[in-house]
Amino acid sequence: MKMALINGSPKGGPSNSGFLLEKLKPLITEGNELHSYRVNAKQLKPEQYRELNEADVIVLAFPLYFDAIPSHLLRMMVELENYRQSEPGNPNLIVYVLINNGFFEGRQCTIAADMVSNWCVRCGFRFGMAVGHGAGEMFNDIKMVPLGKGPLKNLGKAMTRLSTAILTRSSAESLFIQPNFPRILWRLSATHFFWHRKAKQNGLRPKDLRKQPFQESR
Amino acid sequence: MRLIVHDLANHDYDAWLSGFSRDTDEVIGESGTIRHCVGCFGCWVRTPGTCVLKDPYKHMGERLAACDEFVLISRNVYGGYSPFVSNVLNRSLPYVLPYFVIQDGETHHQQRYKQRFKFSVHFYGEGITEAERHTAQALTRANAKNLDASHYSVSFHNTLHELTEVQP
Repeated sequence: MKMALINGSPKGGPSNSGFLLEKLKPLITEGNELHSYRVNAKQLKPEQYRELNEADVIVLAFPLYFDAIPSHLLRMMVELENYRQSEPGNPNLIVYVLINNGFFEGRQCTIAADMVSNWCVRCGFRFGMAVGHGAGEMFNDIKMVPLGKGPLKNLGKAMTRLSTAILTRSSAESLFIQPNFPRILWRLSATHFFWHRKAKQNGLRPKDLRKQPFQESR
Repeated sequence: MRLIVHDLANHDYDAWLSGFSRDTDEVIGESGTIRHCVGCFGCWVRTPGTCVLKDPYKHMGERLAACDEFVLISRNVYGGYSPFVSNVLNRSLPYVLPYFVIQDGETHHQQRYKQRFKFSVHFYGEGITEAERHTAQALTRANAKNLDASHYSVSFHNTLHELTEVQP
Protein backbone atom coordinates (compact mmCIF):
# COMPACT_ATOMS: atom_id res chain seq x y z
CA MET A 1 0.00 0.00 0.00
CA LYS A 2 1.09 3.55 -0.69
CA MET A 3 0.86 5.54 2.51
CA ALA A 4 1.28 9.30 2.69
CA LEU A 5 2.33 10.61 6.09
CA ILE A 6 1.72 14.35 6.34
CA ASN A 7 3.37 16.31 9.11
CA GLY A 8 1.22 19.44 9.46
CA SER A 9 3.30 21.15 12.12
CA PRO A 10 4.16 24.74 11.19
CA LYS A 11 7.54 24.40 12.91
CA GLY A 12 10.63 24.11 10.76
CA GLY A 13 12.46 21.51 12.86
CA PRO A 14 11.42 18.80 15.32
CA SER A 15 7.73 18.80 16.18
CA ASN A 16 5.19 16.95 18.28
CA SER A 17 3.36 15.87 15.11
CA GLY A 18 6.66 14.45 13.86
CA PHE A 19 7.11 12.63 17.18
CA LEU A 20 3.73 10.92 16.77
CA LEU A 21 4.43 9.94 13.17
CA GLU A 22 7.83 8.51 14.14
CA LYS A 23 6.13 6.36 16.79
CA LEU A 24 3.61 5.12 14.21
CA LYS A 25 6.03 4.38 11.36
CA PRO A 26 7.62 1.14 12.70
CA LEU A 27 4.13 -0.30 13.18
CA ILE A 28 3.03 0.17 9.57
CA THR A 29 6.25 -0.02 7.55
CA GLU A 30 6.43 -3.71 6.68
CA GLY A 31 5.22 -4.41 3.15
CA ASN A 32 4.13 -0.83 2.57
CA GLU A 33 5.52 2.18 0.76
CA LEU A 34 5.72 5.15 3.12
CA HIS A 35 6.07 8.69 1.78
CA SER A 36 6.56 11.65 4.08
CA TYR A 37 5.31 15.19 3.44
CA ARG A 38 5.73 18.39 5.40
CA VAL A 39 3.14 21.14 5.14
CA ASN A 40 4.05 24.42 6.78
CA ALA A 41 4.27 27.95 5.40
CA LYS A 42 5.59 26.33 2.23
CA GLN A 43 2.70 24.63 0.45
CA LEU A 44 2.91 21.37 -1.51
CA LYS A 45 3.88 21.19 -5.18
CA PRO A 46 1.33 20.15 -7.86
CA GLU A 47 2.93 16.71 -8.28
CA GLN A 48 2.64 16.15 -4.54
CA TYR A 49 -1.12 16.77 -4.69
CA ARG A 50 -1.26 14.12 -7.42
CA GLU A 51 0.66 11.68 -5.20
CA LEU A 52 -1.66 12.31 -2.26
CA ASN A 53 -4.73 11.89 -4.44
CA GLU A 54 -3.50 8.50 -5.62
CA ALA A 55 -2.37 7.18 -2.24
CA ASP A 56 -4.14 4.28 -0.53
CA VAL A 57 -3.78 5.81 2.91
CA ILE A 58 -3.20 9.34 4.21
CA VAL A 59 -2.13 9.90 7.79
CA LEU A 60 -2.52 13.53 8.78
CA ALA A 61 -0.67 14.70 11.88
CA PHE A 62 -1.07 18.23 13.22
CA PRO A 63 -1.25 20.40 16.33
CA LEU A 64 -4.58 21.76 17.53
CA TYR A 65 -4.98 25.50 16.86
CA PHE A 66 -7.98 27.26 18.40
CA ASP A 67 -9.84 23.94 18.72
CA ALA A 68 -9.37 23.31 15.01
CA ILE A 69 -6.99 22.63 12.13
CA PRO A 70 -4.16 25.18 11.77
CA SER A 71 -4.76 27.55 8.85
CA HIS A 72 -1.69 26.58 6.80
CA LEU A 73 -2.79 22.94 6.78
CA LEU A 74 -6.40 23.90 6.11
CA ARG A 75 -5.22 25.67 2.94
CA MET A 76 -3.59 22.45 1.78
CA MET A 77 -6.75 20.48 2.50
CA VAL A 78 -8.85 22.92 0.48
CA GLU A 79 -6.32 22.68 -2.37
CA LEU A 80 -6.47 18.89 -2.29
CA GLU A 81 -10.28 19.00 -2.37
CA ASN A 82 -10.08 21.28 -5.44
CA TYR A 83 -7.49 19.01 -7.07
CA ARG A 84 -9.66 15.94 -6.51
CA GLN A 85 -12.58 17.59 -8.27
CA SER A 86 -10.52 17.70 -11.46
CA GLU A 87 -8.65 14.40 -10.95
CA PRO A 88 -10.69 11.57 -9.39
CA GLY A 89 -7.65 9.74 -7.93
CA ASN A 90 -7.92 6.64 -5.75
CA PRO A 91 -11.62 6.02 -4.97
CA ASN A 92 -10.75 3.93 -1.89
CA LEU A 93 -8.41 6.41 -0.24
CA ILE A 94 -8.77 6.29 3.55
CA VAL A 95 -7.63 9.00 5.98
CA TYR A 96 -6.35 8.66 9.55
CA VAL A 97 -5.55 11.53 11.90
CA LEU A 98 -3.07 12.17 14.71
CA ILE A 99 -3.77 15.37 16.62
CA ASN A 100 -1.87 16.78 19.56
CA ASN A 101 -3.03 19.64 21.72
CA GLY A 102 -1.32 21.90 24.23
CA PHE A 103 -3.96 21.36 26.89
CA PHE A 104 -4.09 18.13 28.86
CA GLU A 105 -7.25 16.39 27.77
CA GLY A 106 -7.15 14.56 24.47
CA ARG A 107 -10.90 15.04 24.05
CA GLN A 108 -10.27 18.69 23.20
CA CYS A 109 -9.15 17.38 19.77
CA THR A 110 -12.65 16.10 18.99
CA ILE A 111 -13.81 19.08 16.94
CA ALA A 112 -10.69 19.07 14.75
CA ALA A 113 -11.18 15.34 14.14
CA ASP A 114 -14.77 16.04 13.08
CA MET A 115 -13.52 18.70 10.67
CA VAL A 116 -11.21 16.16 9.05
CA SER A 117 -14.12 13.73 8.83
CA ASN A 118 -16.22 16.45 7.14
CA TRP A 119 -13.33 17.11 4.74
CA CYS A 120 -13.28 13.40 3.84
CA VAL A 121 -16.96 13.56 2.90
CA ARG A 122 -16.33 16.59 0.66
CA CYS A 123 -13.38 14.88 -1.02
CA GLY A 124 -14.91 11.43 -1.36
CA PHE A 125 -12.34 9.89 1.03
CA ARG A 126 -13.15 7.36 3.71
CA PHE A 127 -12.50 8.46 7.28
CA GLY A 128 -10.58 5.83 9.24
CA MET A 129 -10.16 7.09 12.78
CA ALA A 130 -8.48 9.80 14.82
CA VAL A 131 -6.15 9.71 17.77
CA GLY A 132 -6.18 12.94 19.76
CA HIS A 133 -3.51 13.34 22.43
CA GLY A 134 -3.23 16.01 25.12
CA ALA A 135 -0.11 17.59 26.64
CA GLY A 136 1.71 17.60 23.32
CA GLU A 137 4.51 19.81 24.63
CA MET A 138 5.48 16.98 27.00
CA PHE A 139 6.65 14.81 24.12
CA ASN A 140 10.03 16.50 23.88
CA ASP A 141 10.80 15.60 27.50
CA ILE A 142 9.70 11.98 27.21
CA LYS A 143 10.87 11.18 23.70
CA MET A 144 13.23 8.46 24.95
CA VAL A 145 10.43 6.64 26.80
CA PRO A 146 9.44 3.46 24.92
CA LEU A 147 5.97 3.48 23.42
CA GLY A 148 3.50 1.77 25.75
CA LYS A 149 5.55 2.49 28.87
CA GLY A 150 5.17 5.08 31.66
CA PRO A 151 3.55 8.30 30.43
CA LEU A 152 3.24 6.81 26.94
CA LYS A 153 1.17 3.82 28.05
CA ASN A 154 -2.09 5.21 26.65
CA LEU A 155 -0.36 6.29 23.46
CA GLY A 156 1.02 2.77 23.02
CA LYS A 157 -2.47 1.27 23.15
CA ALA A 158 -3.81 3.94 20.81
CA MET A 159 -1.02 3.37 18.29
CA THR A 160 -1.74 -0.37 18.30
CA ARG A 161 -5.40 0.32 17.53
CA LEU A 162 -4.50 2.90 14.89
CA SER A 163 -1.89 0.75 13.14
CA THR A 164 -4.27 -2.23 13.10
CA ALA A 165 -6.92 -0.07 11.45
CA ILE A 166 -4.39 1.31 8.94
CA LEU A 167 -3.03 -2.12 7.98
CA THR A 168 -6.55 -3.44 7.38
CA ARG A 169 -7.70 -0.13 5.85
CA SER A 170 -10.69 -0.17 8.13
CA SER A 171 -12.54 2.43 10.16
CA ALA A 172 -12.50 2.30 13.94
CA GLU A 173 -13.70 4.41 16.85
CA SER A 174 -11.52 7.46 17.44
CA LEU A 175 -9.49 7.67 20.63
CA PHE A 176 -8.88 10.81 22.69
CA ILE A 177 -6.23 10.28 25.33
CA GLN A 178 -3.73 12.01 27.58
CA PRO A 179 -0.37 10.95 29.01
CA ASN A 180 -0.31 8.62 32.01
CA PHE A 181 0.83 11.45 34.23
CA PRO A 182 -0.98 13.52 36.91
CA ARG A 183 -2.54 16.64 35.45
CA ILE A 184 -1.55 18.81 38.39
CA LEU A 185 2.13 17.87 37.98
CA TRP A 186 1.92 18.48 34.25
CA ARG A 187 0.40 21.92 34.88
CA LEU A 188 3.04 22.89 37.46
CA SER A 189 5.89 21.69 35.30
CA ALA A 190 4.47 23.55 32.30
CA THR A 191 4.50 26.78 34.31
CA HIS A 192 7.88 26.44 36.01
CA PHE A 193 9.96 24.27 33.71
CA PHE A 194 8.56 25.39 30.36
CA TRP A 195 7.11 28.92 30.33
CA HIS A 196 9.25 30.43 33.06
CA ARG A 197 12.38 28.78 31.73
CA LYS A 198 11.70 30.09 28.23
CA ALA A 199 11.00 33.55 29.64
CA LYS A 200 14.33 33.52 31.46
CA GLN A 201 16.12 32.47 28.28
CA ASN A 202 14.68 35.63 26.71
CA GLY A 203 15.70 37.86 29.62
CA LEU A 204 12.14 38.15 30.98
CA ARG A 205 10.75 37.63 34.47
CA PRO A 206 7.57 35.60 35.04
CA LYS A 207 5.53 38.74 35.67
CA ASP A 208 6.63 40.11 32.27
CA LEU A 209 4.66 37.32 30.60
CA ARG A 210 1.45 38.94 31.87
CA LYS A 211 2.12 42.21 30.05
CA GLN A 212 -0.99 43.78 28.52
CA PRO A 213 -0.21 45.68 25.33
CA PHE A 214 -2.84 48.34 25.02
CA GLN A 215 -4.34 49.77 21.86
CA GLU A 216 -4.90 53.52 21.76
CA SER A 217 -8.30 53.21 20.13
CA ARG A 218 -9.65 51.25 23.08
CA MET B 1 -16.23 48.90 19.09
CA ARG B 2 -16.78 45.80 16.96
CA LEU B 3 -13.88 43.95 15.39
CA ILE B 4 -15.11 42.23 12.24
CA VAL B 5 -13.01 39.64 10.41
CA HIS B 6 -14.42 38.44 7.09
CA ASP B 7 -13.30 36.56 3.99
CA LEU B 8 -15.51 38.29 1.43
CA ALA B 9 -14.17 40.12 -1.57
CA ASN B 10 -14.26 43.84 -0.77
CA HIS B 11 -16.99 44.54 -3.33
CA ASP B 12 -19.12 41.74 -1.84
CA TYR B 13 -18.59 43.10 1.65
CA ASP B 14 -19.60 46.58 0.49
CA ALA B 15 -22.59 45.23 -1.45
CA TRP B 16 -23.99 42.85 1.11
CA LEU B 17 -22.90 44.23 4.42
CA SER B 18 -23.19 47.99 4.05
CA GLY B 19 -26.27 47.85 6.30
CA PHE B 20 -24.44 45.71 8.83
CA SER B 21 -21.41 47.94 9.27
CA ARG B 22 -21.11 50.89 11.60
CA ASP B 23 -18.62 53.72 11.40
CA THR B 24 -16.98 52.61 14.60
CA ASP B 25 -16.32 49.05 13.38
CA GLU B 26 -12.80 47.88 12.77
CA VAL B 27 -12.95 45.62 9.73
CA ILE B 28 -10.30 43.11 8.70
CA GLY B 29 -10.70 41.70 5.21
CA GLU B 30 -8.48 39.56 3.05
CA SER B 31 -6.04 42.04 1.63
CA GLY B 32 -2.28 42.07 1.66
CA THR B 33 -0.15 39.32 3.07
CA ILE B 34 -0.85 37.41 6.24
CA ARG B 35 1.72 35.00 7.63
CA HIS B 36 0.77 31.75 9.29
CA CYS B 37 1.34 31.22 13.00
CA VAL B 38 4.50 29.13 13.25
CA GLY B 39 3.90 27.83 16.77
CA CYS B 40 7.02 29.50 18.18
CA PHE B 41 5.31 30.81 21.37
CA GLY B 42 7.18 34.09 20.85
CA CYS B 43 3.95 35.98 21.59
CA TRP B 44 4.04 34.42 25.07
CA VAL B 45 7.73 34.29 25.96
CA ARG B 46 9.62 36.82 23.81
CA THR B 47 7.29 39.77 23.25
CA PRO B 48 4.37 38.95 25.59
CA GLY B 49 1.06 39.97 24.09
CA THR B 50 2.42 40.71 20.62
CA CYS B 51 3.19 38.29 17.79
CA VAL B 52 6.83 38.24 16.66
CA LEU B 53 5.94 37.85 12.98
CA LYS B 54 6.26 41.17 11.19
CA ASP B 55 3.05 41.84 9.30
CA PRO B 56 -0.17 43.83 9.90
CA TYR B 57 -1.60 41.04 12.08
CA LYS B 58 1.03 41.07 14.81
CA HIS B 59 -1.19 43.12 17.16
CA MET B 60 -4.27 40.88 17.02
CA GLY B 61 -4.13 40.26 20.77
CA GLU B 62 -4.53 43.90 21.71
CA ARG B 63 -7.03 44.49 18.91
CA LEU B 64 -9.23 41.84 20.48
CA ALA B 65 -8.73 43.44 23.86
CA ALA B 66 -9.98 46.73 22.44
CA CYS B 67 -13.30 45.43 21.10
CA ASP B 68 -16.59 44.75 22.83
CA GLU B 69 -17.80 42.41 20.09
CA PHE B 70 -15.70 40.09 17.96
CA VAL B 71 -17.49 39.15 14.73
CA LEU B 72 -16.38 36.47 12.28
CA ILE B 73 -18.00 36.21 8.85
CA SER B 74 -16.70 33.10 7.18
CA ARG B 75 -17.40 30.65 4.45
CA ASN B 76 -18.13 27.26 6.00
CA VAL B 77 -15.13 25.02 5.42
CA TYR B 78 -15.64 21.51 6.80
CA GLY B 79 -17.60 22.87 9.75
CA GLY B 80 -15.00 25.51 10.55
CA TYR B 81 -13.72 28.84 9.31
CA SER B 82 -12.16 29.50 5.92
CA PRO B 83 -8.35 29.49 5.74
CA PHE B 84 -8.12 33.31 5.94
CA VAL B 85 -10.45 33.74 8.93
CA SER B 86 -8.77 30.78 10.57
CA ASN B 87 -5.39 32.38 9.90
CA VAL B 88 -6.40 35.64 11.60
CA LEU B 89 -7.77 33.71 14.56
CA ASN B 90 -4.57 31.66 14.83
CA ARG B 91 -2.60 34.92 14.96
CA SER B 92 -4.74 36.05 17.91
CA LEU B 93 -2.98 33.68 20.31
CA PRO B 94 -1.28 36.53 22.25
CA TYR B 95 -4.75 37.53 23.48
CA VAL B 96 -4.49 34.73 26.08
CA LEU B 97 -1.73 33.78 28.51
CA PRO B 98 0.38 30.62 28.28
CA TYR B 99 -0.72 29.60 31.79
CA PHE B 100 -3.54 27.15 32.36
CA VAL B 101 -6.69 27.15 34.42
CA ILE B 102 -9.14 24.28 34.99
CA GLN B 103 -12.73 25.08 34.03
CA ASP B 104 -15.50 22.49 34.11
CA GLY B 105 -12.89 19.78 34.43
CA GLU B 106 -10.96 20.90 31.35
CA THR B 107 -7.72 22.79 30.88
CA HIS B 108 -7.95 26.22 29.27
CA HIS B 109 -5.68 29.22 29.01
CA GLN B 110 -5.74 31.99 31.57
CA GLN B 111 -6.84 35.36 30.23
CA ARG B 112 -4.37 38.19 29.66
CA TYR B 113 -7.05 40.90 29.80
CA LYS B 114 -9.88 41.40 32.26
CA GLN B 115 -12.33 42.76 29.70
CA ARG B 116 -14.60 40.37 27.84
CA PHE B 117 -16.28 40.60 24.47
CA LYS B 118 -19.31 39.12 22.77
CA PHE B 119 -18.39 36.54 20.13
CA SER B 120 -20.62 36.40 17.03
CA VAL B 121 -20.00 34.01 14.16
CA HIS B 122 -21.76 33.97 10.79
CA PHE B 123 -21.10 31.00 8.55
CA TYR B 124 -22.22 31.22 4.95
CA GLY B 125 -22.21 28.84 2.01
CA GLU B 126 -24.52 26.62 0.03
CA GLY B 127 -25.02 23.03 1.04
CA ILE B 128 -23.73 23.19 4.60
CA THR B 129 -24.28 19.63 5.82
CA GLU B 130 -25.83 18.71 9.16
CA ALA B 131 -22.49 17.30 10.30
CA GLU B 132 -20.71 20.55 9.37
CA ARG B 133 -23.37 22.59 11.15
CA HIS B 134 -22.92 20.46 14.27
CA THR B 135 -19.13 20.84 14.10
CA ALA B 136 -19.37 24.60 13.53
CA GLN B 137 -21.62 25.02 16.56
CA ALA B 138 -19.21 23.01 18.70
CA LEU B 139 -16.25 25.00 17.36
CA THR B 140 -17.85 28.37 18.10
CA ARG B 141 -18.77 27.23 21.61
CA ALA B 142 -15.22 25.98 22.25
CA ASN B 143 -13.62 29.16 20.86
CA ALA B 144 -15.94 31.30 22.98
CA LYS B 145 -14.88 29.38 26.05
CA ASN B 146 -11.18 29.60 25.29
CA LEU B 147 -11.44 33.32 24.56
CA ASP B 148 -13.59 33.79 27.67
CA ALA B 149 -16.31 35.52 25.65
CA SER B 150 -19.14 37.03 27.72
CA HIS B 151 -21.59 35.28 25.43
CA TYR B 152 -21.64 33.94 21.89
CA SER B 153 -23.91 33.33 18.93
CA VAL B 154 -23.58 31.35 15.73
CA SER B 155 -25.72 31.56 12.62
CA PHE B 156 -25.77 29.97 9.18
CA HIS B 157 -26.61 31.61 5.85
CA ASN B 158 -27.09 29.77 2.58
CA THR B 159 -26.25 32.79 0.45
CA LEU B 160 -24.45 36.06 0.76
CA HIS B 161 -27.81 37.73 0.25
CA GLU B 162 -29.02 36.22 3.52
CA LEU B 163 -26.23 38.06 5.28
CA THR B 164 -28.01 41.33 4.49
CA GLU B 165 -30.76 40.18 6.82
CA VAL B 166 -28.33 40.09 9.71
CA GLN B 167 -29.22 42.79 12.17
CA PRO B 168 -26.31 44.85 13.44
